Amino acid sequence: MFQTNNIYITSDLKMSDIIFNNPYLLHLAEHFGMNVPVKDKSVKKLCEENDLNPELFLTFANLYNGVKYTPKDPLTHHDILNIIKYLKNNHKFYTDEIYPNILRTIHQMAEINDHKEMALVPRFFLDYFNEVAEHLEYENKVVHPYVLELYEQRINPTSTRKPQIYSAKEYQEHHSDIEDKLNDLKNLLIKYLPYKDDQILRRKLILKLFDLENDLNIHSQIEELILIPLVSEMESQLNKSK
Amino acid sequence: MINIVLVESSSILTEGLIGILNKSELKCQVTICPSFDDLEQILFRKKYDFLIVNPSFILSNPKYFKTLKSQHNNLKTIGLIYSWYDPKNLYLFDGLITISETPDIIISNIKKLLEDTSENDQNALQEVLSNRETDVLKLLATGLANKEIADKLNISTHTVISHRKNISQKTGIKSVSGLTIYAVVQKLVSIDSISD
Repeated sequence: MFQTNNIYITSDLKMSDIIFNNPYLLHLAEHFGMNVPVKDKSVKKLCEENDLNPELFLTFANLYNGVKYTPKDPLTHHDILNIIKYLKNNHKFYTDEIYPNILRTIHQMAEINDHKEMALVPRFFLDYFNEVAEHLEYENKVVHPYVLELYEQRINPTSTRKPQIYSAKEYQEHHSDIEDKLNDLKNLLIKYLPYKDDQILRRKLILKLFDLENDLNIHSQIEELILIPLVSEMESQLNKSK
Repeated sequence: MINIVLVESSSILTEGLIGILNKSELKCQVTICPSFDDLEQILFRKKYDFLIVNPSFILSNPKYFKTLKSQHNNLKTIGLIYSWYDPKNLYLFDGLITISETPDIIISNIKKLLEDTSENDQNALQEVLSNRETDVLKLLATGLANKEIADKLNISTHTVISHRKNISQKTGIKSVSGLTIYAVVQKLVSIDSISD
């Protein structure tokens, strides 16, 4: 995850090469519906096969690599459906896979480590998990439908405009909360919680938390740097045409 | 750890400045950026506390520099001065390092800027909680709100908040539930006394 020599991804590179360089791109490919094996297909080819604007893929992929990419043609409302698809799949990945997986590891660790303070950790994480789930649910049920509604009106501007219910600021506050508690747990595990025969599970857990943090970080950058500006643009376009 | 990005093309200057920083008691990590063009990329990757930059890079395009500063509002900028610049151009920086200065002065200037960043930063460099912070933490862990803690300790809510900020800076833990576990680990409160 902390590879510093990640490459700058362009559309003529082979998908397999960019995955060898940064295997976390597997998540990205999967969320866009591209599955391995990818044979020796280029990024461009795979994007065409999946009805995906290569510039959108490149923007996301370079974000995964910690590189800022400016699309040759700016992203537009035509990219909205794929952005929402990515975000939805990423949510599912959190709630169905990553968080339950981390929770299991915490339970296993608490079984081995019988220090009484360790017993507080599963509860801490479960509360945190519920908060995250609630936030993701809010995005699934309120934010995404709103964005899709805007999109529909943008391409077919006959229906009436829905009221504004979306606030970028509220969004960002939610996110920093999610990152804070994750970071708290990392601190507790790395610096404070007393040790008892838990070396392997603790290490696994810490690494999973770092991976999750990295993924959440990319996720919120996609929302804040890519989705929100497009949403504002669609809103102002619609207001103009009213 | 203080993260610094240094924009300077002369290796004599970069090596020299890094040497001075490494010998000081400041714990610094310096990223060298040989040209201004790569800076945006570097700043995008990680949070930095200081940007030390050769003014000639920015005086040709002060507007861009201002945009950069507004995008990274916690980033303090320091000009690295080794030739004459019109003083009115140097106001763009938060601080200056002049190469004729002694290492002590350079370090103390950086420290001064660090103190500006947060009034209690010096204090936060040590991890041990003060007695008052410990009092606040104990009450926090038993489930009291800021106002209740303030009343119990006869201090203002504002002071409680400032103590909490320091506690979080020292421990790395921000949430009340996380701090509660910390308090139990440190045996400041017993596990039975924490409220549900």
